[in-house]
Amino acid sequence: MLARAGYGLGTAALGALLSAGARAANVFPNFTPRAKRVIFLFQSGGPSHLDLFDHKPAIREMFDKDIPPSVFGGQRVTGMVAHQDRFPICPTMYTFGQHGQSGQWLSSLLPHTAKVADEICVVRSMHTEAINHDPAITFIQTGSQLPGRPCLGSWVDYGLGSENQNLPAFVVLNSLPGNGQPDQGLLSRLWGAGFLPSRYQGVQFRSAGDAVLHLSNPPGVTRESRRAMLDGLASLNGRLHERVGDPEIETRIAQYEMAYRMQASVPDLVDTSKEPESVFKLYGEDARKPGTFAANCLLARRLAERNVRFIQLYHRGWDHHGGLTEKIPALARDTDQPAAGLILDLKQRGMLKDTLVIWGGEFGRTVYAQGTLKRDNYGRDHHGRVFSLWMAGGGVKAGHSHGSSDEFGFNVAEDGVHVHDLQATILHLLGVDHEKLTYPFQGRQFRLTDVSGHVVRGILA
Amino acid sequence: MKTITGVLLCALAAAGAARAAESGRLEYGRDVRPILSENCFHCHGQDAKKRMANLRLDTFEGAAAIRNGRAAVVPGKPEQSVLYQRITAAQPALRMPPAASNRHLTEAQAAMLKRWISEGAQYARHWAFSPAVRPAEPAVSDPRWAKQPFDAFVLKRLDAEGLRPSKPAAPGAWLRRASLDLTGLPPSPAQIDAFERDARKSGEAAYGAAVDRMLGRSAYGERMAMDWLDAARYADTHGFNNDAERSMWRWRDWVIEAFNSNMPYDRFLTEQLAGDLLPAPTLDQRIATGFGRNHVINSEGGIIDEEYRVEYVADRVRTLGMAWLGLTLECARCHDHKYDPITQRDHYRFYAFFNSVPEIGEDGRVSNAVPMIAAPTRQQQEKAAGLERAIAQLAAKIAGKEKRWVWKGRDVAARAGVPAGAALEVHCETTGEFEPANGLTLAEGIAGNACVTGGPGPGAQAPGKGFPVSRREPFTFSGWIQASAMDEDAPLLSAIDYARNPASTTYGGGMEFRLAGGELEFRFSQRFPAYSLRVRSEGARINPGEWRHVALVYTGAADKTAMRVHASWVRIFADGREIPVRVMNDGLALPEAKTDKPTPYRFRMGWENAPNGKRFAGRLDEVALWNRGLNGPEIEALFESRALPYALGRMRANVAAPGEQAWVRAASLAMTDAEFARDRAKLASLREEWLALRREAPFVMVMQELHPPRPTHVLMRGAYNAPGEQVTPGVPESILGTWPEGAPRNRLGLAAWLTKPDHPLTARVVVNRFWQQLFGLGLVKTSDNFGLQGEFPSHPEVLDWLARDFADSGWNVKALMKRLVLSATYRQDSAAGSALIARDPENRLLARGPRFRLPAELIRDQALEIAGLLTHRTGGPSVFPYQPQDLYKGIVVAADYPGTRYLPSTGGDLYRRSLYTYWKRTVPHPTMTVFDAPDREFCVVRRSTTNTPLQALTLLNDPIYVEAARKLAERALREGGSAPEGRLRHAFRLATGRAADAHETEVLLKTLDRMLAAYRADAPGARALLATGASPADPAMDPAELAAYAAVAGMILNMDEVITKG
Repeated sequence: MLARAGYGLGTAALGALLSAGARAANVFPNFTPRAKRVIFLFQSGGPSHLDLFDHKPAIREMFDKDIPPSVFGGQRVTGMVAHQDRFPICPTMYTFGQHGQSGQWLSSLLPHTAKVADEICVVRSMHTEAINHDPAITFIQTGSQLPGRPCLGSWVDYGLGSENQNLPAFVVLNSLPGNGQPDQGLLSRLWGAGFLPSRYQGVQFRSAGDAVLHLSNPPGVTRESRRAMLDGLASLNGRLHERVGDPEIETRIAQYEMAYRMQASVPDLVDTSKEPESVFKLYGEDARKPGTFAANCLLARRLAERNVRFIQLYHRGWDHHGGLTEKIPALARDTDQPAAGLILDLKQRGMLKDTLVIWGGEFGRTVYAQGTLKRDNYGRDHHGRVFSLWMAGGGVKAGHSHGSSDEFGFNVAEDGVHVHDLQATILHLLGVDHEKLTYPFQGRQFRLTDVSGHVVRGILA
Repeated sequence: MKTITGVLLCALAAAGAARAAESGRLEYGRDVRPILSENCFHCHGQDAKKRMANLRLDTFEGAAAIRNGRAAVVPGKPEQSVLYQRITAAQPALRMPPAASNRHLTEAQAAMLKRWISEGAQYARHWAFSPAVRPAEPAVSDPRWAKQPFDAFVLKRLDAEGLRPSKPAAPGAWLRRASLDLTGLPPSPAQIDAFERDARKSGEAAYGAAVDRMLGRSAYGERMAMDWLDAARYADTHGFNNDAERSMWRWRDWVIEAFNSNMPYDRFLTEQLAGDLLPAPTLDQRIATGFGRNHVINSEGGIIDEEYRVEYVADRVRTLGMAWLGLTLECARCHDHKYDPITQRDHYRFYAFFNSVPEIGEDGRVSNAVPMIAAPTRQQQEKAAGLERAIAQLAAKIAGKEKRWVWKGRDVAARAGVPAGAALEVHCETTGEFEPANGLTLAEGIAGNACVTGGPGPGAQAPGKGFPVSRREPFTFSGWIQASAMDEDAPLLSAIDYARNPASTTYGGGMEFRLAGGELEFRFSQRFPAYSLRVRSEGARINPGEWRHVALVYTGAADKTAMRVHASWVRIFADGREIPVRVMNDGLALPEAKTDKPTPYRFRMGWENAPNGKRFAGRLDEVALWNRGLNGPEIEALFESRALPYALGRMRANVAAPGEQAWVRAASLAMTDAEFARDRAKLASLREEWLALRREAPFVMVMQELHPPRPTHVLMRGAYNAPGEQVTPGVPESILGTWPEGAPRNRLGLAAWLTKPDHPLTARVVVNRFWQQLFGLGLVKTSDNFGLQGEFPSHPEVLDWLARDFADSGWNVKALMKRLVLSATYRQDSAAGSALIARDPENRLLARGPRFRLPAELIRDQALEIAGLLTHRTGGPSVFPYQPQDLYKGIVVAADYPGTRYLPSTGGDLYRRSLYTYWKRTVPHPTMTVFDAPDREFCVVRRSTTNTPLQALTLLNDPIYVEAARKLAERALREGGSAPEGRLRHAFRLATGRAADAHETEVLLKTLDRMLAAYRADAPGARALLATGASPADPAMDPAELAAYAAVAGMILNMDEVITKG
C-alpha cells in the first residue's frame, strides 16, 4: 500500500505507531495474565441487588417495619428521601431460587442468567463511597469520585496496548433501554483518558450512522479515489519529512493508513448480518436491532474475537426511585438473555477462559422504601454500603458466590469488596500489578486504585 | 507486551547528569533534589504524619541530625552516611527505597547522591520560591546572533552543548508561524508577499511592524483567550450527569477584550479573582469574577449540598494553584503536601478566601447557578444609556410641570375601566371571605376594610380551591399593601411549602409574593432556593405606612419551544408603573407542553409555613388574580380606580401624603394638559423600550461575598463533614513572600499578594505558559507544577530574565509576546537533521525553531480561513457548528432542558472561530476533542498532542473539512488563473504559506488528473461531493472539475505541514 505512495515507510514505523513514546520503566504484564481482554457490561443507574441477586429471606416478614437503627448506622441520606419521617423495610416481591450445580441464588427476574449460574461468580459484598450517580459511576470507572482521572479502559490501554493493528484497543458501546427511557445521563469522561495522553481515550462505536465518527468517506468519494488521494498525501508528507526531519510526520503517514484500514475493518466488524440464526437465538431477537444491549453484546463478542483489549458497554435506566416493579422487569429483560448469551457464546468459542466479563452498576439500592410502599409497588433510593455484581471467565471462579451482606442487605457482613479492590482484581487478572501501573502527573505517581485496593484472592480460579 | 515510561524521572535524571557534567558542580535543585523527592520524601519529607523512623531528608538539619550516634548524611563522607549505606545496601530488607514502594534508584542516581554528599551535601532553597532576578548577560560565541537580550542565554547553553543555532526561518515561514501563534489565523499570500518585500527593504523594522499589525487585530485576543479558557475551565454547560446549559459567554468575551486592550496582567488577575471587591466595581469588573464560577456545578437530585459546595471551593483553590501559582495546592487538601512545603492548614487558609460565596451545592438544573448578575453587552449598554438620557430629559420636563401644578379642588377619575375577568378577588371586607380566617383582623383599607394577619399559629388562607397556574400560561396578581416598619422581609401571599426538611428535593415548591427591603419579590419555585425563579423589583421603594398598589404579570411561554421558564417573563409594577427588576435566580424548569398541567395554589394571607415563619405585619387589601397577563394600561387603570378616590378623599381632608397628592396630580395634568399627556405617553413608551432591553440582557455567574463570611475549618481527610481547626484567610508567607502591608484579608488582598512585583511565581508561571504557547513546551516543561516535583527549567536564566522584565514592564502582555516572536530563538528554522532530533527530540535545547501540530481550534479556524469561509465576528453567545447527528443520543439525560439538545446554527454562525463552539462538558464537540481539547471539567494548562487515526478520519471526512476543501477549490479556480498548475499552486500556497516545489507540484497535478478522470465518469458522485456543507457551490463552475479540485484541496488540507506550525 505504502509503496504506491512513492515514499517508503518501513513496517518499523507502523509498528512504532502503537508504542509511540514508549520508554522503559515498568513492563506489563507483570505476570502471566489470566484474561487477555475485558468486556464490562456496565449497568448505569444502580440496579437493585435486593430484587436481582441478594436473597434476604429474613425480611420477607418485615414488610413496612422500621429498619433497626443499629443497622441504619450513619447512613448518608440523599435529598430524595430526606423528608421521609421513616424508613420502612421493603422486601422484594420477586421470588428467589437456587440455580445450577453451584446453587447460586438469583431472582426470578434473571431466568437466563440462572442458566449460566455455574459460569459466573457473584460478588455479594461490593461497596462504594458515593451515594449519587455522577460521583459513584466516576468512582467505579476511574477510581476517583471527581473528574480528571483516566478510566479503567484507558489505564488498560496505556498499560497493555493493542493486539490489533486495525482497531482501537479500547472500544465503548452505549445502549438504549428497550423501553426507550434512559434516565441518568452518561459522561464522555467515563471513557476519557484523564491526564493520560488523549490517545488512550475509549473510541465510541455508535449504532446509528458511522460506527466510528467520520469513518465513511463523504458522499461522492469512492474507496479508489480515497486511495489515490492518500497516495498523493503520503507522497507530499514524505517529501516534507525529508526536508524537516520531524518523526511525527512518519507517524502521521502511518495513522492515515490505519484510518484507511479501519474504513474496511470496522464496517466488517459491525456487520452482524452473516451471523447464523443460532447466534440470535442465544442473544435474543433484540440483537438484530442496532443500539440495543443485545446487539452490543454480540458486537462485544466480535470485538473480543478481534482481540480488542477493553470493551466497555453501558446500559442505562436502573435508577428506580419509584415504580421499581413496573420498570425493573424491562431492564432485566434487556440485559438478562444477552449477557447470558454472551457467556455461552464466548464459552462455545473457547474464549471465556481468557475473556473477563463483568456485569454491574455503580451502587445498589436501599432496603427501605422511597415514597409509597406497597407489597407489589415500591421504589428504592441509592445505596452504596453493599451491592452485588457478577464476573465471569478470565480467571475468575465459576459458579461461586463471594462475600455476603447482612440479613437486611444493608451492610457488608463478610468479605467486603471495595471498588478499588474490584479494580485491583481486574488489573490483576490482566496480569497487571495495580500498584505498578502508574503515571506521573503533577509531581506524583497516580494509579487507578489511588492509595488503596487489594486483589480479591477469593474469587481467583 | 508493551513498555511504559517514567518519562519525568528519566528526563530529569538525564538532563541533570548532562548539566552537572557541563558545569562541573552539582546543583541541589537541579541534580539532587529530584532524586530525593521522587524516592525519599514520600516517607522522609515534610508530612509529619507520614514520616517514617522520624527521619526527614528534605532539610539539612533533618538529614545531618545525629541519631543513635549516626547521621543520614555526613557532609563530605558518603561512606559514613546512613543514607548512602542504605541506598546501596546489598541486603534487600535494608535497601532503600523499599521494594514495596515501587520506587527504585538507578546506579547513576546513587552515584549522584554519593557525589553530592562528597561535595558537602548542600541544600538550597527551591529555585521557584525565590524572586526572579535579572541575570547578567553572558559571554557567548556570537553576540550578534541575539535579537532579544534573553537570546544570549539560549546561545550560551548551545555553546556549552557544542551546538549551533539553526539558520533563521524564511520570512514567509516566520510570518505564518507568528500569525498562527498570535492570531490563530494564517497570513494571506498577499500579506506574505508584502511582508517579504518589506523585509527586503527595511529588514528588522519590517518584523516589528508585522508583529504590531498582528497584535492590533481582534483575532489576537481570540487566540490568546483560547489557552486561558482551558485554564479557567470555561464551558457552556455545568458538567456532571445533568450537564445543563449555563451562560458564561460574557465572561469569555471579557477575556478576549482584556487581551485585545492589552490589559496589564496584574489587573487581568486582580479583576478575575476579586473584581467585585474593588472600590465601586464596574460591570466589567464584576463580569471578570465569573472566573471563580467557571467550575463544574452538580444538579443531581438529592446530593448533599454541603458536599458539593465544598468541592466548588476546593476547585477554586486547585485553579488558583495551577493557573496562577503553578502549584499543586490540591495535594494538600487531605493531608500536608508530600513534596512541597504546603501544609494542609495552608490549603485551608487559601480555601478561606473562596469560602464565602452565597452559593448552593445542588444548583444549575436548567440555567445559571446563584449568584448571578445581568450582564448587558456593550451594544445593549450603549443603547440603554441613550434611552436613559432621553428618559431623564423627558422626566425632567414632566417634573417641571408637576412642580408648578396646584390643586384646584377638582375631581379626577381613572382613565380606563377596571379590567374584568379576575379569577379570584379578595376585597377583605369581612373575615368570612377567608377559609380559614385564623387570627385575621380587619382594619381600614384603601377601599373599605383591609386585612391584618395575626399570630401565632397558622393564619388565614385565601378562599376557594386555589388559583390554578401552569408554568407555560400567563397570570397576573394585583393588590394593595400598607407595610409596617417591621416588614423588612415578609410574605404577602405565600403558597410555597417551607415546612419540609430543607435537605429534601421537594422542599420549597410553590409560588409567593414577598416584601423584601421595601421591594416586591416574586418566587416561583420547584425547590427553593436552587430551582426557582426569583425576581425582585429595583426601585419600588415601598415605605412603611404608605398605601401602595403592587402588581405582577407573568407572561408565560409565548414560544412553544421554550425549554425553561425565563425571568424575562416577569414584570413587576408599583402604583401602575412598571419597575425594573433584578433577577436573583432564573432556575425554574418548564415541563413539556403536553405534561404542563395547571397546579392550584392556595395563598396564605401574609404568612408562610416555615417553622417560626415570618408574618406580614401591615395591611393587605383588594387582592385580585387573573389567568391572563394584563397589559400596562390595564394595570394603571387598576391602580387609579382605587388610588384616585382614596387620595382625593385624603386631600379633601387635608391629610394626604405627598405620594398620594402625586397620584392626583399626575392624573389631573394628564386630563387637562394635552402636551403633558403626550409626554407621559412618550415617556411610558421610552421606559417600555428600556425595560425590554434590560430583559434581553444575558446573565453571568459571578463571585460575591457573604457578610459575615462563612467560617473556614481545616477539613479532615478533605471531607465536607469532618471539620477540624478553624482557620483565617492567609498565604504561606515564609515560602512565597509576605502579605502586602495593609491589604485586606480577602480575595482582593490575595490578588495584591500574587501581583507583588517580587512574587516568586506569578510572573514566572505565566511567562512560561506564553512560552509554551509559542514553543510547544514551557521552559519549565511541567507548566502546571513549579513545585519541588516540577521540572527544573531548561533555561533558568531565560525564564528569570523574561519574568523580571514582564513584571517590571507593568505586566505588559503584548510587549512580552512581541519580544518572544521577534527573538532569534523563535525565528530559527524548524527543520532538523536526524542527529539533532536523536539528541534532542523535544527541542529542549532550542537549537531549532518550534514545530508542532496546531491545537484543535486552530486546525479548524485555519481551514475555514483558507477556504474563505470564516465568519469574522468577535464575541457573542456560543454557536453550534455541524456535529454528527444524534451525538447526544444515548449519552445525555432523558429530560429536556437547555443543554440536552444540539440545535445546529445556520448561516454565518456555522463558520465562527472554534472558541465560540458550544462547549458541552459531558459531550464536547468531537472536532475539538479528537485533537486533544480537554472537556473543561477542571483547570488544564497543558494539552497533550497526540497523533491518531481518528484525527485522520476527521480531517478526511468531517463535513466542515469537506466543505472547506470545496471552498478552497473554488478559490483556486477563481483566483489561480486558467491553468491547472497555477490553480493548484495557489491552493497550496494559501494553505502552507509557501510555493510548492517541483515534486509537490507534480503530485498535485497527478492527483488532479486522477480525480478529474474519476469525476468526469461519475457525475452523480461529483454532485454529491459538492453538496456537502451548507454553503452553495459556485453554479458557474463545471461540477466534475470543481469536485476534482475539491478532492485535491482536501489532500492539501490534510497535509502534515498544514495542520502543523513549523
